[in-house]
Amino acid sequence: MSHFYPPEAYGELNEGISQVLFSEEEIQARVLELGQAISRDYEGCRPVLVGVLKGVFPFMSDLLRAITIPVEVDFMAIASYSAEARDKGYVRLQKDLDESIAGRHLLFVEDVVDTGLTLNYLLGNLRAREPASLKVCALFNKNRRRLISVPLQYKGFDLPDKFVVGYGLDYRELYRNLPFVGLLKPAVFAPNRL
Amino acid sequence: MIETQPVKPQFVHPIEEEFARILDYYGIRWEYEPKTFPLEWDENGEVAVAFSPDFYLPDEDRYVELTTVRPKLVTIKNRKIRRMNELYPEVNITLLKRSDLRDMMIKYGMDEHAADIMGTEAQ
Repeated sequence: MSHFYPPEAYGELNEGISQVLFSEEEIQARVLELGQAISRDYEGCRPVLVGVLKGVFPFMSDLLRAITIPVEVDFMAIASYSAEARDKGYVRLQKDLDESIAGRHLLFVEDVVDTGLTLNYLLGNLRAREPASLKVCALFNKNRRRLISVPLQYKGFDLPDKFVVGYGLDYRELYRNLPFVGLLKPAVFAPNRL
Repeated sequence: MIETQPVKPQFVHPIEEEFARILDYYGIRWEYEPKTFPLEWDENGEVAVAFSPDFYLPDEDRYVELTTVRPKLVTIKNRKIRRMNELYPEVNITLLKRSDLRDMMIKYGMDEHAADIMGTEAQ
């Protein structure tokens, strides 16, 4: 049973979508499967789920509730590459984890893995803190654009080489609240809109 | 000991320079056009067609080629990369197409670069 509204209920946001790639039902079913697999694999380990804000929060929220074993959650935030961040030279953490992860079983939860640049940086940062184990769970994967090899132990869906939004994925901070994932119409990011 | 600053490469396209900055930002080591791969030879055995991928990421042992040409014109580059794969199957190469670079520039808020390579109605 759906917890949310149909796509057309999202009015102006839905008008920017040319095609729904993964419906709310498909996403929720896959998240449930991932939660079951994680519950089975981490039985007795009390893992810490770590996500990087902001895109991961809908997935993290649903995944957390699909996991049936004791589990902790924590978040990080980093300054993505931008004109301002670029001038400072390198990646900076804007929010670090609240607790130490040394000796803990860590599951890094990611909304989408594209080039692998951000994930590679964060995994390196987390490995330096000596967790007992470190694995990655990504809901969406854009493999063709991968520049840095990063192993994904849990994966939801492969995405096409298109600009997609919804379920945490944004265009200029909008569309994150869509419960489905869809293709953004080119007219939305046409030159005269920039 | 005298330390010298590495010489900044002469990038062919502004987006290559931006891409190099992105790699620097995430701490990824790179080299610019470090190697040329012969692809075709003439009857005298001289190299007739060659290909120099834009970037090499030594820690990944991966070459990266960027292209901003429109999809209809990308055929020549695709053909070169196919030939690369035939002649040098051990070489890892990733082609970032116009739409890949556009999406990357939008993601990072690089509007001027995104606008430069937009211009298509297709995703």
